[in-house]
Amino acid sequence: MSSLLSLSNLRITFDTPRGQLAAVRGVDLEILAGESLGVVGESGSGKTVLSRASMGLLTMSTAHRSGTVVFDGQDLSTASREAVRDTWGTGMAMIFQDPMTALNPVRRIGSQLAEGLRVRLGMSKKEAKKRSIELLQLVRIPDPEKALRKFPNQLSGGMRQRVMIAIALACNPKLLFADEPTTALDVTVQAQILQLLSDLRKELHMSMVLVTHDLGVVAGHTDKIAVMYAGEVVEYAETKELFTNVRMPYTEALLNSIPRLDQKSSGRMAVIEGRLPDPTQQEPGCAFASRCPYVQEKCQVEHPELQKADNGHEFRCHFPLGVAR
Amino acid sequence: MKFKQLGIFSKASVIWLCLVIFMVVFGQWIPLPQPTNFDIDAMGVGLFDSLKHPLGTDSNGYDLLSNVILGARPSMLISLISVGIGGLIGSTLGIISAYKRGKLDYVVNTLFNIVLSVPALVLGLALVAVLATNPDPNIEVPTSRRVVVIILSLTIVIIPVLGRIARGATLSWSNREFVVAARSMGMKDSQIIMKHIVPNVLPAIYAVAFLAIGVVIVVEGSLSLLGVGIVDGVSWGSMIARVRGDLEYAPHSMIVPVVVLALTVIACNQLGDVLRSQLDSREGRL
Repeated sequence: MSSLLSLSNLRITFDTPRGQLAAVRGVDLEILAGESLGVVGESGSGKTVLSRASMGLLTMSTAHRSGTVVFDGQDLSTASREAVRDTWGTGMAMIFQDPMTALNPVRRIGSQLAEGLRVRLGMSKKEAKKRSIELLQLVRIPDPEKALRKFPNQLSGGMRQRVMIAIALACNPKLLFADEPTTALDVTVQAQILQLLSDLRKELHMSMVLVTHDLGVVAGHTDKIAVMYAGEVVEYAETKELFTNVRMPYTEALLNSIPRLDQKSSGRMAVIEGRLPDPTQQEPGCAFASRCPYVQEKCQVEHPELQKADNGHEFRCHFPLGVAR
Repeated sequence: MKFKQLGIFSKASVIWLCLVIFMVVFGQWIPLPQPTNFDIDAMGVGLFDSLKHPLGTDSNGYDLLSNVILGARPSMLISLISVGIGGLIGSTLGIISAYKRGKLDYVVNTLFNIVLSVPALVLGLALVAVLATNPDPNIEVPTSRRVVVIILSLTIVIIPVLGRIARGATLSWSNREFVVAARSMGMKDSQIIMKHIVPNVLPAIYAVAFLAIGVVIVVEGSLSLLGVGIVDGVSWGSMIARVRGDLEYAPHSMIVPVVVLALTVIACNQLGDVLRSQLDSREGRL
């Protein structure tokens, strides 16, 4: 399979009153055509910034990007603004976290759906309406013709997220970024939306990047998983490999903090003690050292490089789990 | 929103404004005494004292009813035109500068603040003094020129008022995720502004524009009172200006235009409020 999106040494920094804040620190990632990748990490680990920066949506003057982003053979880091915009919608599209704020409250669903079709694909009003109905059927919205005339506040949260997905799919993107698509939804609706996304991905032969803080969410729905911590990829492997052979202590801690049904309901939930390191500082050692239960002296002084095992499993740790130390 | 669902106060406001609009449009065809012809036999006739002068006359014998009705047109037109043009320019500037941010925003915002810091009356006085006077006091300045200058100065006053409202609303709306979402679909900035920002910002502008109409009617009246408005013509402000010396012996001649002016301003404010609460709440109104 060919590479669809490849990030190399991507660094994103923001100017803040406290100095340079490095949200993403040298990330290399590759997404193949038709593949789905889960990006997992806690709040502030840089996963949202990563997905927005890959699309080139960070345009505020305080954000700085270095490294390269190659999409479908085109280097977006050197391309003109117009060229980058041409890839949006038709090449890459994004589903946003909160369907409440990502839909314009004063416009009907129909006009928001048709917008991309008319602007980007040059469809006529009639064609756009026909395609909108198809799209709403695709995301399993009952009675699509009626839904076109509704305002966002007349739909439930799950329905709104389905509309967002329909809008993102409108121009047949090759790569879909789903930025925590289920965080704002009920648990039962979450499962439906995730199932819908992975079904659609297979139906439409898209690649997908699923950004989430919940390892349980990506488990059944992605081919590969990248775990992010403090702006770095700390573990990267095929989904099954990652869950069976955890190498990185951080990933293990994340897995341990997922609530289980067989846990005593009176017991406390497992948490990862401590906090993320200050993103405006660059510590010499491993970013996870202060919270790692297996920390050793070397972790405090030397920054671990990403090591690659034979089966493609990558991890950033001096003393990986499951390996003789 | 149906007329029936409005509160009694809003209903009264709608009816009053309809009446004012009727006066503006059809006032000149209503058979009334000439507003600028004084009736020497009926000076200072009180309210409802005479069939010929239902609202009485002032101490010079000018018919108050015809002055009120024919004064509606200049008063309302001046305020509508200046709020309309000022609102258009102001909100365009405000929306674009807030959307683009950066230097443009800084410059526009500073200009708004500078204009806002000049009191409306002082600005009006200065502009009329410079643009609508003649160095030779014997040559009369035509009323039409004065009207244009008054509209110009009121427009300048309105631009930053509505411009800042538009700027503030745009700042908050353009940070919303649907704007990023529209961009991520490849929409151009101009398309995002027209389709996503403007429909959300308009309600705030409508509401404040209605309030501004009220304010402008009063400012126009104050300019007339100070002698730089439409002094020789007919307007509500100039009526008040003309009779201000007669308050002791013909108080009703002051009361009539003041009440008409006040009712119009209150009606505008009331409808502005109703509009705002109606247009603002499509989201999360359950």
